[in-house]
Amino acid sequence: MIQLEQISKSFGKQEVLQSIDLQVKKGEVVVILGPSGSGKTTLLRCINYLEKPDAGQITIGDLKVDTKHPTKKEIHALRQQTAMVFQQYNLFKHKTALENVMEGLTIVRKMPKDKARTISIQVLEKVGLGNKLDHYPVQLSGGQQQRVGIARALALNPEVILFDEPTSALDPELVGEVLSVIRKIAKEGITMIVVTHEMDFARDVANHVVFMDGGLVVEEGTPEEIFQRPKEERTRQFLSRITPQATYSI
Amino acid sequence: MSRRFDMTYVFDFIPKLLAYLNITLLIVGSSILLGLIIGMLVALPRLYNVPVLKRVSQVYISFFRGTPILIQLFLIYYGLPTILQWINIDISRVAVLYFVILAYALNSGAFVSEMIRASVSAVDRGQIEAAQSIGMSGYQTFTRIILPQALAISIPLFGNLVIGNLKDTSLAFTLGVMEMTGRSQTLGTATQHFVETYIALSLIYFVISMILEQGFLWLERRLHRHEAGAKQTSAVIRRKWLTRPVSALSKGGRSG
Amino acid sequence: MTLDPSFMWTAFLSLFKALPTTLMITFVSVICGLFIGTVVALCRIYRIPGLSQLSTAYVTFIRGTPMLMHLLIIYFGLPILIDSLAAKWEWSFTSASIPLIGFVFIAFSITAGAYMSEVVRAGIVAVDRGQIEAAHSIGMTTPQALRRIVLPQALAVSLPNLSNSVIGMLHGSTLAYTISVVEINAQALVVAANNWKYFEAYIAAAVLFWGLTLLIERGSGWLEKRLNAYHRGGVM
Repeated sequence: MIQLEQISKSFGKQEVLQSIDLQVKKGEVVVILGPSGSGKTTLLRCINYLEKPDAGQITIGDLKVDTKHPTKKEIHALRQQTAMVFQQYNLFKHKTALENVMEGLTIVRKMPKDKARTISIQVLEKVGLGNKLDHYPVQLSGGQQQRVGIARALALNPEVILFDEPTSALDPELVGEVLSVIRKIAKEGITMIVVTHEMDFARDVANHVVFMDGGLVVEEGTPEEIFQRPKEERTRQFLSRITPQATYSI
Repeated sequence: MSRRFDMTYVFDFIPKLLAYLNITLLIVGSSILLGLIIGMLVALPRLYNVPVLKRVSQVYISFFRGTPILIQLFLIYYGLPTILQWINIDISRVAVLYFVILAYALNSGAFVSEMIRASVSAVDRGQIEAAQSIGMSGYQTFTRIILPQALAISIPLFGNLVIGNLKDTSLAFTLGVMEMTGRSQTLGTATQHFVETYIALSLIYFVISMILEQGFLWLERRLHRHEAGAKQTSAVIRRKWLTRPVSALSKGGRSG
Repeated sequence: MTLDPSFMWTAFLSLFKALPTTLMITFVSVICGLFIGTVVALCRIYRIPGLSQLSTAYVTFIRGTPMLMHLLIIYFGLPILIDSLAAKWEWSFTSASIPLIGFVFIAFSITAGAYMSEVVRAGIVAVDRGQIEAAHSIGMTTPQALRRIVLPQALAVSLPNLSNSVIGMLHGSTLAYTISVVEINAQALVVAANNWKYFEAYIAAAVLFWGLTLLIERGSGWLEKRLNAYHRGGVM
């Protein structure tokens, strides 16, 4: 189980996160929605301490971290328990697809090379890239790169995978392949926290939806509750602006 | 001065000058090697943001980049014995060659340190975040992700630096070191065919520069082989470097 | 040997006598170099047959050889060339009428030209191709587009490189002492030799050059901020 308690964060004078609480059960897929600038990406990045929260507590399994004064060890442990899929993929540019996936296993988990290789190939096959093992990132399309990014996270078998707008940098025709991979692994019961703008996907995949605005959790609930019967005015406004899908009409 | 230009002298002089190539290369090689060590030491306080040392590094870099190499040569040649005498070390018998190497090493050190800083900070921030996100420690992130990428980025800069250093060594003769340029002076005086000497010498410098340039280009392509169409990429990166402020450390016209 | 701070000040003041020569060499070579560099860069960008290859050879050769060689070859070679031509065509003009500093101007302009051409080329290439197309689309000719659209943008982009080259030429001007032109370095040598105080004289020279360099860097930084105003966006 993952628990965030009273996570706060400011950039200068601007309060990006105002005492956020969030609970994610094991195997649950939580989707965080909200307009840009709502703090959803910052919240995600606080979980693996890529962003330093000003205050609050993060619990992942047995690990409890007071984010105000974490030790180096605790930060490292947080990152060992989590994995992230980035908006810009952030594949290691100087390593092949296979090497990208193996890197965390061999270097961080100290797994023997041949075992790491076997696992990595399995995971890459799962995301449909068994034939691209020796390709460098520049030789792959955006969708393929992002699938390697997902494989890199998946191979580590973390407590939770954090998805930071995994499809927003992709060309529209490449979004589908990435979403279907995420859907597939979601069904396998892997705990995920997803920040996204893809509403259909959110409705389809999420067990739990969180709507954020202005650094606050405005409303949360099941997809039905949020999409069919939103209680808050702000949620309604946001959904009405987004839902009439213009994405594919071009 | 009124002697006619005679091309045969040029060919005649080339082997005579090449006999002193080893001294030139000795100066270049050892000063670059020393410069790399100095440069790394100087870069560290800035990379790790160490309060007072950072300031010292900045002044060091600013001074050696802000003054002509010729002045630095004289300064070290005349100044170092004085300074060391204060602490009772007598180096008046040390050969000029070592002063020259030290001067070029100190000069290269400043440029190397800038090169390191620029290359490290040119590595995409996302690469570091990705490394952290899979649980790498700071040391692992540096050695496995930042260093290999920074190395590839730094190659064209380092190439410029070495070639600049080679050209700068032509000034060692001002302190009486008998390397290629020093030899050309004596040849010119003896035969009174100065133009031919300097043309011969220029050709030698030119060929070595070209060899170095091609070598570094090859190295760069190898290190960038993970980026499709290395040739094209390399051109793009070069162009990028030229237009970025950091290319302030490509030695540019500064080479003597 | 001890350090004599008061002499350092004396030396510093006497170096100022040579400052105009140093600045003159830098200024002339930079201006002529910019002119040569622009012509050469345009020849290469527009691939003018013959001239383009010639330009490439010039830039490659100059950049591959020490600046000292350029000076010495011009200093010793130009008189031979001029005097043989003068004898042939019976000119009244001979190399003897060229002042020493003239050789420095010529040689360093040739040096600067090659480096400047790279600066100019990088600047022009950095300007988005769409900018020229847009200029053409509203009916501008290519020279108009270059002057009114590309050049101002290229200048802003290449300012750091430009200031770098200016500093390079400033530092390079010290080489002029090898053909007995009295610029700062030569003056330092004179002051030092007269008093047998080399260290002090060279500290003074170093400080003077350091100051000049910082001045150029600051100036270009300030100018860059102003020229790049359009990058900042928003209403000014």
